[in-house]
Amino acid sequence: MSDETKESGPLLIWFTAVAFLIGMAAIFIYAPTEQMEGAVQRIMYFHIPAAWLAFFSFFIVFISSILFLWKKEREWDIYALASAEIGVIFCSLVLITGPLWARPIWGAWWVWDARLTSTLILWLIYVSYLMLRYQTDVGSMRARFAAVLGIVGFLDIPFIHFSVLWWRTFHPPPKMISPEGLGAGMDPSMVTTLMLSLGAFTLLYFVLMGQRIKVEKMRDEVERLKKDYLYTN
Amino acid sequence: MNNLEYLFAANVFVWGGIFYYLFRIKKYQQSLQNDLDLIKEAIKKGLQK
Repeated sequence: MSDETKESGPLLIWFTAVAFLIGMAAIFIYAPTEQMEGAVQRIMYFHIPAAWLAFFSFFIVFISSILFLWKKEREWDIYALASAEIGVIFCSLVLITGPLWARPIWGAWWVWDARLTSTLILWLIYVSYLMLRYQTDVGSMRARFAAVLGIVGFLDIPFIHFSVLWWRTFHPPPKMISPEGLGAGMDPSMVTTLMLSLGAFTLLYFVLMGQRIKVEKMRDEVERLKKDYLYTN
Repeated sequence: MNNLEYLFAANVFVWGGIFYYLFRIKKYQQSLQNDLDLIKEAIKKGLQK
């Protein structure tokens, strides 16, 4: 690892911490309280960025899986695994913060509408992806099966995005990306706060990816040393 | 209508989730580092024999 790479890690962590501090200040001080929903609407500043990060993570799994199947390089398999773990964590947070926001507004924790159900299916697909990775023996077959699942699972994401437009759902249509324009119909300070939160969460993705990739490479090193020196002697 | 308890719970889950994952990565890294040190020690001893 070069000195430049070693130094960029802590710098990114500090940058992310500062971004979150600014984001939290914007969420709880700068952003106005929504008139109809009250303070609970501030959950949006966690819910939407968590959803963005889950989708982005699964997109990286999709790309890395294609590249792994094409190039057969372990590097892409590591990226896919690391991104899938992060995606599952943030998809879980979407499925937790959503009902916490829905309960006081809709009067129900959960409804089986197209958006919520397809998001739950996405979560189940990538949980099964991780189970496949953890439960089967290390090898290229495992990586290949996982890559196929990683690619197929991503096909659910466009379905999730358009579900609120294709069907009548409890879940509101996209707030940020709408036919009227970016953030149309939202207070500008709410849009700014949401953008800050999205930025902080995106930085967090790169921090978590960096850490997880480092650990997976370390595991490969342990396996290699065991195989080369301990099991052969 | 504020429902602050829901906002509080959402915060607890979000931050709890993030820190739990970071803690898990760190713990796994420490365990791998221990394994790595033990293997390197074993290799060194093996080479000295």
